[in-house]
Amino acid sequence: MVIIPLNKEPKHIWDILSEVPDPEIPVINLVELGVIREVIENGDELTVTITPTYTGCPAKKLFEDLILEKLEEKGYSNVKIITKLAPAWNTDWLSEATKDKLMKEGISPPTDDNKIVVCPHCKSSNTKTISPFGSTPCQSFHSCIDCLEPFNYFKCHR
Amino acid sequence: MKITFQNNEAKFLARIADTSVILAQRLAELCSKAPFLEEDIAISNCSLDLFGRAEELYKIIGVIEGNVHTPDDYVFRRNEREFYNIKLVEQPNEDFAWTVARQFMHDVWAKEVFTQLLDSKNEELVGLSQKVLKEINYSLQHNRDWMYRLGLGTEESNSRLQVAVDHLLKYIEEIFSFDELDRTYLSDCKKLESIWQNEINLVLSEVNIERKEIEPLSMRDFRDGFHSEHIGHLLSIMQYLPRAYPDAKWS
Repeated sequence: MVIIPLNKEPKHIWDILSEVPDPEIPVINLVELGVIREVIENGDELTVTITPTYTGCPAKKLFEDLILEKLEEKGYSNVKIITKLAPAWNTDWLSEATKDKLMKEGISPPTDDNKIVVCPHCKSSNTKTISPFGSTPCQSFHSCIDCLEPFNYFKCHR
Repeated sequence: MKITFQNNEAKFLARIADTSVILAQRLAELCSKAPFLEEDIAISNCSLDLFGRAEELYKIIGVIEGNVHTPDDYVFRRNEREFYNIKLVEQPNEDFAWTVARQFMHDVWAKEVFTQLLDSKNEELVGLSQKVLKEINYSLQHNRDWMYRLGLGTEESNSRLQVAVDHLLKYIEEIFSFDELDRTYLSDCKKLESIWQNEINLVLSEVNIERKEIEPLSMRDFRDGFHSEHIGHLLSIMQYLPRAYPDAKWS
């Protein structure tokens, strides 16, 4: 498990970035998703370092556009975005609060090595995998054997 | 504009980047055409991973080469003889067994290649390798499962997998005819070959697929830009749009 404590300064910028929703799972924002790694404010110039979730995630470019758009809206027009691949993004960076948000939204949050997948509807762990690949690179598709409802699961990725 | 690689590390990485992008394109051909919906999603996801992997590798190559070319240039502005992918990945999707066997053979190779690249002195490459290994493991697990399901499924699925394996194994020998670049940038070429052979032999024997003796095809090496007949057709489709509309952008 690689958990790197983030220096969430300057706070007013991190607060703005917390308003940028994940384009595919809008219930969580890019800070909660863990893709924003560092912000450096130098005069009127901002440098934001991000890391992609999956190398081929189609939302990769959109992350950058949404960040630029939001900062521009708040008056920051001189923004540089740097992409860093290391340390590699992993789902251990999602906080417990973020996982609760996903569960409430009907997306089962990642568990330790995918051993237990909980149904977000009835909370049963008696579930089965329908497809190891889902609607986005970070999700797989499951159904609940108890309540019979289908649901998405946010895959453990570490 | 002819694109050539000046730096040895870039030349070596182009083999892996080209292998990724050609296989990505092969898998993308099946988008909306896979045997059933879940597999369609799986194949498209694996294709996306490979496109992403290729893009990041071309960026690293671009930096090494002094930022003369973009990933778009490398993918869309080179002809057959300027690609350095292993021939295995350009083999067509003759049927689903071909897609599965090709992916399985590739993933076993790619897993050990990126494991060895973790020892590279290039920090960006190490970061990328850490990242893609997770994706390769996921794909490998999925396609390894399919090897078992097809091999141990019905007489029909077994015989189709046998045909696919017989064909694809012809394109393996060249992968392990290492040259100086391989020996410089991989930490252990012999280990790459032995891991691949052991894993393939194990799975083939467990799924009742025979590994037949392959007659040498006296093929010329992918490292010199030689290919099977399939590459041109693949490139003509992949490159049509950016060649017709040169201001279109991929990344």
